[in-house]
Amino acid sequence: MQELDLRGNKAYLDRAFRWSAAGAAALVLLILGLIAVTITGRSLPVFHEMGLKFFTTTRWSPPDALFGALPFIWGTAFTALIALVIAVPISLGMALFMTQVAPPAIRRPMVYMIDLLAGVPSVVFGLWGVLVLSQHFGLGRSFLTAGIILAIMIIPIITSLSREVIETTPPGDKEGALALGCTRWEMIGAAVVPHSAGGLVGAVMLGLGRAMGETIAAALVIGSALGQLTLHPLSPGNSMPAVIANEWGEADTLHKSALIALAVTLFVITIVVNLIATAIVQRSMRRAQGL
Amino acid sequence: MSKSSILTWALAVVGLGLTAPRLASAAGTTLNGSGSTLSKPYQEVAIEEFKKSHKDLTINYGGGGSGKGRQDLADMVVDFAGSDSPYKEADMVKIKGGEVLYFPILLGPITVSFNVTGVDKLNLSPETIAKIFQRDIKKWNDKAIAAENAGAKLPDEDIVVAHRADGSGTTQNFTEYLNGAAKGVWKLKSGSTVEWPADTQAGQGNGGVAQIVKSTKGAVGYVDLSDAKASGLKFASVKNQAGKFVDPTTAAASAAGDGIEVKPNLLFSALNAKGDKSYPITCQTWVIVYARQTDKAKAEALKAYLKFLVKDGQKLLSEIDYAPLPRSLGDKALKQLEKIQVK
Amino acid sequence: MQLAQETEVAAGPPDLTAKQSWRSVKSGIMTSLMIASVVAIAAPLIAVVWAVLTRGASVAFHDFPDFFIKDVPNIARRPGGGMGPAIMGTLMVTGAATAIAVPLGVLGAVYLHEYGGKNNFSRLVRFMSTVMSGVPSIVMGLFIYIVWTLHFGYSAFGGALALACLMLPVVIGATEQMLRLVPNHLREASYALGTSKSRTISTVVLPAALPGIVSGSLLAVARAAGETAPLLFAVGAANEYNPHLFQEANTALSIQIFGNATSSFVAAQDRAWGAALTLVLVTFLATLAARVFTARIARKR
Repeated sequence: MQELDLRGNKAYLDRAFRWSAAGAAALVLLILGLIAVTITGRSLPVFHEMGLKFFTTTRWSPPDALFGALPFIWGTAFTALIALVIAVPISLGMALFMTQVAPPAIRRPMVYMIDLLAGVPSVVFGLWGVLVLSQHFGLGRSFLTAGIILAIMIIPIITSLSREVIETTPPGDKEGALALGCTRWEMIGAAVVPHSAGGLVGAVMLGLGRAMGETIAAALVIGSALGQLTLHPLSPGNSMPAVIANEWGEADTLHKSALIALAVTLFVITIVVNLIATAIVQRSMRRAQGL
Repeated sequence: MSKSSILTWALAVVGLGLTAPRLASAAGTTLNGSGSTLSKPYQEVAIEEFKKSHKDLTINYGGGGSGKGRQDLADMVVDFAGSDSPYKEADMVKIKGGEVLYFPILLGPITVSFNVTGVDKLNLSPETIAKIFQRDIKKWNDKAIAAENAGAKLPDEDIVVAHRADGSGTTQNFTEYLNGAAKGVWKLKSGSTVEWPADTQAGQGNGGVAQIVKSTKGAVGYVDLSDAKASGLKFASVKNQAGKFVDPTTAAASAAGDGIEVKPNLLFSALNAKGDKSYPITCQTWVIVYARQTDKAKAEALKAYLKFLVKDGQKLLSEIDYAPLPRSLGDKALKQLEKIQVK
Repeated sequence: MQLAQETEVAAGPPDLTAKQSWRSVKSGIMTSLMIASVVAIAAPLIAVVWAVLTRGASVAFHDFPDFFIKDVPNIARRPGGGMGPAIMGTLMVTGAATAIAVPLGVLGAVYLHEYGGKNNFSRLVRFMSTVMSGVPSIVMGLFIYIVWTLHFGYSAFGGALALACLMLPVVIGATEQMLRLVPNHLREASYALGTSKSRTISTVVLPAALPGIVSGSLLAVARAAGETAPLLFAVGAANEYNPHLFQEANTALSIQIFGNATSSFVAAQDRAWGAALTLVLVTFLATLAARVFTARIARKR
């Protein structure tokens, strides 16, 4: 059958539309591919120079062409860990409160509150962190201060996603538990948690991914110290994105290559975490709907 | 969204793209610079003053540290760079645009600023400074500091060392000073970035270090006088070669500038100067440009601005706590302007 | 399992006159912990909003509308001046990014949902779109520096490109979701009338999904307006108005906040708070507008 619509337009317009739409979709692949190729390519010189010692040594001294990224990888992991320790109980508590305890009238303003928190740009959190938060409680510029700021920033994601997952709990399970005489908390433990556990893990991991990639807020409050492979949360530290942001301006080719290598490392780690998290969340949602 | 409106979108974007460059050419020349934050206060007042007589000129100075300035100029993303230290030999090959010219613009004292409870004045020798910044001395009431400050009530407070996170000419000069004046004691060598000990903090630009010192109890850091004074910081009197403890003032910086040896390309060092009244950590800074310029309008603007910086703008310096160039050096810089050619 | 234990122990209906058992006390504790977590979220939110409002309003609304119009002062330590160029910069960069990302994202989602369906290409694109939304913004900034800034210098457009890359996966995701919600009978009715596929999409499907697409795009815009890291590598540092998209360095609210946050001068810090207030207002308005459109969809259904 000829492809003509009622107005008599030619078929090629239709096909052109389809091809431009396909092209737009392919842009995603193109851009991502370009990113991967350009940044991996530019990071090669430092790997040529240092090999795998890039990841295992602790001395970062650009004038001596020594680039040991271990303290920064540790710093990224440490601040993300602190952020999770703070954010996860709060987010889960909030999500449970909103879904199990709060009457609908209270639930709406809570949703707005979460959205408001999510809407504040990270640079504003960084500003508040460096000019207000670090001046109180003896926090100063440290892993802990950065962890707190990151926690505030990832709470909305974890909370919203956890809420969605928890809401898929079959009401029958919950009512059954209550009918058997469970207290509210016991019901949550018996019906909600086993059902949502996977999805909640996924939500937490997405928060983790976001915390590790956050540059600006962390860079402002972390203290920018070198060589800090420490467990002491109140000491100043550094993280991969903060180092990149701080040292990029004057880096020469090898130094830039080292910073790009940090970006590649960060890229790979956050991608892996995000993918695992998305897979877990999707599987848990699918299972919930299939039941 | 109908097909026609998609088409309109596309045309709008393309139209914007096509007209924008034409709009731009009507606007006048723009000069971009980046680099030294030590000289940023001077660039700021100079730009403001200079624009009064050059209304169609836009000059942006982004700061970012001497290292950034040198790198940006080498990559040709800026028209001029502010730098407190010259290009290293090894970096000369990376300069894409050919020969560079150094135009000195001021002498600036680098203070050792501190935030110690109950202490307003401090005397420090280069050896003590070296030990503090490399963390051999960790508390303010250490014997070494007390020995130089008889009568001061030094608290039992931890020293928090603040330095630069970015590649800095101020760092370069400060560490070069310690290399020379505290020989044998200072272990960290000299450079725009240095391997500071692990438990120290870093800030962006002179302003960032000033901020850390201002807001952290027990902090000490190296900040240019202009920023230190404007931030309300307290700073130390440093022992010079003649054995005298000298305050960082513009007069002491000028004294340091009296005996400098200037090379033909206008490079020199004012650090560790001789003389009773000289402030030993006096830093110099240059504006670096390419000798060979490609855009006539930009070249004219550059020459005019440089001339202002080196001559008429010098009277602005004392108000913002810098010392002007010695007269002979200023004249040499003016003469070097002729080397800027449009090819 | 816990449940079984409880039913064995509590033989018979619960005795309401008995003393508080450990179980209900535990439940009460847990509920208060949940309420505590709400407080733990509210506290920093209120603290941040309060700080931005109080410190920012006194600067931003002092001699209104000065702050929103005046140039950024060249002399950082001097009080006064304003964020006019930064506001224009943010609007330009975000506007240009939206003009690039939204049409491309909508088109891409149209392909994925209306043409591609479950074929391998579409699955790959969807997967990569998720990957792309997880790219840290600083990596995007580095990418744009390498492919754009090094060749064309600093400009607002470079920043727009970086933000567009960040917005694209979000727009694609939101649009695909909306397209999925458009009932198939609308499409089928259109085909039955003999309309071509492309025309059906542009005249029937997209208008039906429009409120949701607008809502999702506004959310992407709100996020993009607050981004700092990519702009640092692409836009540069200017203190004066620069209305040219492709020429010369520019500035933006997020860049100004970041730069002034590390300043030791109170005047610069004040301007940072004022800029923060302005930025929060801008993102808040965008989010509010998004909510309005979402409500419109709900009403339609």
